[in-house]
Amino acid sequence: MTGAIDITLTVNGRTYRLSVRPRRMLADLLRDELRLTGCKIGCDQAVCGACTVLVDEMPVTACATFAFEVDGKAVTTIEGLGCAGALHPIQQAFLEHGALQCGFCTPGMILSVKALLARYPDPDEPLIRQWLSANICRCTGYQMIIEAVRAAAKARGS
Amino acid sequence: MDGTGSPFRAPVIALDGPDKVTGAARYTYDVSLPGMLHAKVLRSPHAHARICSIDAGRALALAGVAAVVTGADAAELPDPYYGVAIRDQPVIAIDKVRYVGDMVAVVAAVDEETAYRALRLIEVQYEPLRPVMTIEEALTEGAPLLFEAPAGGAAVAVGDGVISLKEPRPNVLSEFIYRNGDAEAVLAASDYVFEDRFRFSRINHFHLEPYVNVARANGEQIELWSCNQDPFVLRADIARIFGRPANAVRIHSSYVGGGFGGKSFCKMEPLVVLLALKSGRPVRLCLSLDEGLLTLTKHAGVLVLKTGVMADGRLTARQSEIQLDGGAYSDASAMTVVKAGYRITGPYRWQAVATRACAVRTNSVPAGSFRGFGGTQASFASESQIDMIARRLGIDPYEFRRKNLLAKGEPFQPGDSGIESDLLAGLDVVVDRLRYRGRAARPVDGTKRQGMGFAIGIKDGGGTNHAQALVKVFPSGRVIVNAATVEIGQGATTALCRIAAQTLGLPLEWVRYGAIDTDHTPLNNGTHVSCATTVTGMAIERAATDARRQILQFAADRLGCSASELTLGHWSVRRANYAHPLEPMITGYFGDVGYEFIGRGGTMIEYDPQAPFGARNLFWIPSWVGAEVEVDCETGKVIVTHLVVGADSGASINPQACRGQIEGAALQAFGQSLFEELRYDGAEPVNATPLAYRVPLANDLPECWESFVVEHGGPGPFGAKGIGESGMLGVGAAIANAIEDAVGVRLTQIPFTPERVLAAIEAVR
Repeated sequence: MTGAIDITLTVNGRTYRLSVRPRRMLADLLRDELRLTGCKIGCDQAVCGACTVLVDEMPVTACATFAFEVDGKAVTTIEGLGCAGALHPIQQAFLEHGALQCGFCTPGMILSVKALLARYPDPDEPLIRQWLSANICRCTGYQMIIEAVRAAAKARGS
Repeated sequence: MDGTGSPFRAPVIALDGPDKVTGAARYTYDVSLPGMLHAKVLRSPHAHARICSIDAGRALALAGVAAVVTGADAAELPDPYYGVAIRDQPVIAIDKVRYVGDMVAVVAAVDEETAYRALRLIEVQYEPLRPVMTIEEALTEGAPLLFEAPAGGAAVAVGDGVISLKEPRPNVLSEFIYRNGDAEAVLAASDYVFEDRFRFSRINHFHLEPYVNVARANGEQIELWSCNQDPFVLRADIARIFGRPANAVRIHSSYVGGGFGGKSFCKMEPLVVLLALKSGRPVRLCLSLDEGLLTLTKHAGVLVLKTGVMADGRLTARQSEIQLDGGAYSDASAMTVVKAGYRITGPYRWQAVATRACAVRTNSVPAGSFRGFGGTQASFASESQIDMIARRLGIDPYEFRRKNLLAKGEPFQPGDSGIESDLLAGLDVVVDRLRYRGRAARPVDGTKRQGMGFAIGIKDGGGTNHAQALVKVFPSGRVIVNAATVEIGQGATTALCRIAAQTLGLPLEWVRYGAIDTDHTPLNNGTHVSCATTVTGMAIERAATDARRQILQFAADRLGCSASELTLGHWSVRRANYAHPLEPMITGYFGDVGYEFIGRGGTMIEYDPQAPFGARNLFWIPSWVGAEVEVDCETGKVIVTHLVVGADSGASINPQACRGQIEGAALQAFGQSLFEELRYDGAEPVNATPLAYRVPLANDLPECWESFVVEHGGPGPFGAKGIGESGMLGVGAAIANAIEDAVGVRLTQIPFTPERVLAAIEAVR
């Protein structure tokens, strides 16, 4: 594969027709072309999870996903969740529970939690710990994130 | 002041929180300038080698490459070296490389991919030299020298009678010698003397936002967008290195995606500036996390403690020999040595103390600041040995500590300030949470044994000792706080704004923390040592008080009364029973654009030659840790089933953020205690990549994991003091103490991997 590849994808509900180089990574496409800089690249090796976005509601590491792989798919980034004044319940729970410090892992972490709650609306603690282990947070010690996840699940269920 | 009357009980939403949960927060990582080039670094494959030649011709010929910088360019700078106190690290390797990963050449190109390609076209001829990889090797007579000539700079300044030396011996960067009384004589007169040796490991900061800098040179002006947590330290270094006046250097700070000490002091920033100067275009250098692992580490080290004790359990004297592995370059090693050496006594009462601590140069990743800064090394060794002595003498480790702990108000060492915290009260919380008293016999489950241990960490909150601040109040009552404390996730934005809001009687939502730009922001000497809320906080409190005074005076002049008749609240002044709204009063007088009341404040911790550090320590940072472990005697695997970590905030400005600081720090220490380590095999690091370098994940958490905050009062605004590093201290020792409690063997080397635990168990079988 050498030439550009034409792809059609939906990002946060908006459809884009783009021509991408075969080696173009989804994270770079989101950040550099669509200016969705909430997608952070930490390790660039699919280890830390900071670049996590949802592709057809499944969490993927955008740093290790080729842009052409999302052809025909729907991508959700943190910018598609909520904005100040109209936060998604998970965002609200993270705020209220102090589940963030430097914030660099936060967009990926929140999207990962969204995928968790979509699949398991009422996760128990071992499941939350297991699921969150796809996302490294070096600041919080995780406990306050776990509490935010529980609160978000509760808010969702009520 | 104690914390019981704190006005900050109500929970608060962090001011930087909404931007961070929506992806709107801008980090240096997100800075992009028009025409910006991207840089990549060629790193040394040798631990120790002379650079014979560098041919970058083919790289420069590659389409899209704008500039290549090597040591030849750096050598022409007015002062190409940096480092804290002692300056030995070149902007880029000049004549030699001194560790695997040392920077040899850097390329700026239209994009990162092109820069990477260009790196492969650079040909470097090396003459390999014999490397020194361990402290022991470096100190052997006749060992190869990392540096043939003395470095620039000077030894770390200390108080009278304390010795701080620069490069005292071959391969020794710095040395700190502290004596109080005649330790030798006191040890000779002690009933027991115990000597124990501890080894500490390297870990990396692993901040998720990589090291990232964008530089632009415009005429005489150098501008830098930096993830560095010390904008004014950086400004001074850039000005010195490039021979420019400081007012020609401008540093911008944004949100920082984690630092933990890794982003303090000068590192690769001047290299980015050099590229911008050479290429004539803005340049961004973003290191990968792999490169981050090759940039800075926490100090590994060897600590030998000789401690005397009387038969009744009274500690008498401690003699310590500390050797920290400083790696290839100085960075903050000289400071770390001073701190580790001073903190090694722990929070106990001694008749005499004698410490020698040094930083040894080896051909490994430079070591520097890491949350706790020498305090984690010291508290691991000290609190391990305290426990070992108690067990050897058959004294309960709690009773042994209780007997020897410094009382509230007692100075840490003669000439220094008193401990504000009630150390025993904190330990009692831990002991209660563990249900230590009257605990049942340790249950045995097959090959598994259980045990519990605790520790008290302590460090000084010295370091950042001066700060200035502005508090600007608009006609609407909206406020901008200007100070140079960088938001690295510690919650400074919210805490500092809360101090201003409280002082002015305004809602927190009305206060914003101004963008940091060294052209406009008042100076401080870094975001360090858990000091922001106290040192910069005091400057802000004073600035807000000054603004408040101006506002009251303005209103008094308008109302034709004395300012003392007025009170300020809800953005009105009240005189007797009448409230006068301020906004119409201000715009009525100054017109529609209005006015800004600009309050100024500053903090300076005075020099005091009688204090060991040359200034009395502003406050003390204790931590209390308890651990319950389950050790599998067959596999050596240690599982921490319960971890409790507490600290003293003085008085919490934001209780939720205090909790976050303790838990975050404690988990870093927890990872280092059990598995996290930057490992070397010979001259090369073996796991300097995120795939192989293991940091704690959510499923590593102890099953029961709790923290607590006590408020014993501090010198900062509203009784606050620093807390950010506390959770790092004491965790390693508490776990080691619990392991001995469980299986009767002592781990003196961190981390406590299954291999080490099993070897220790088998050695006594």
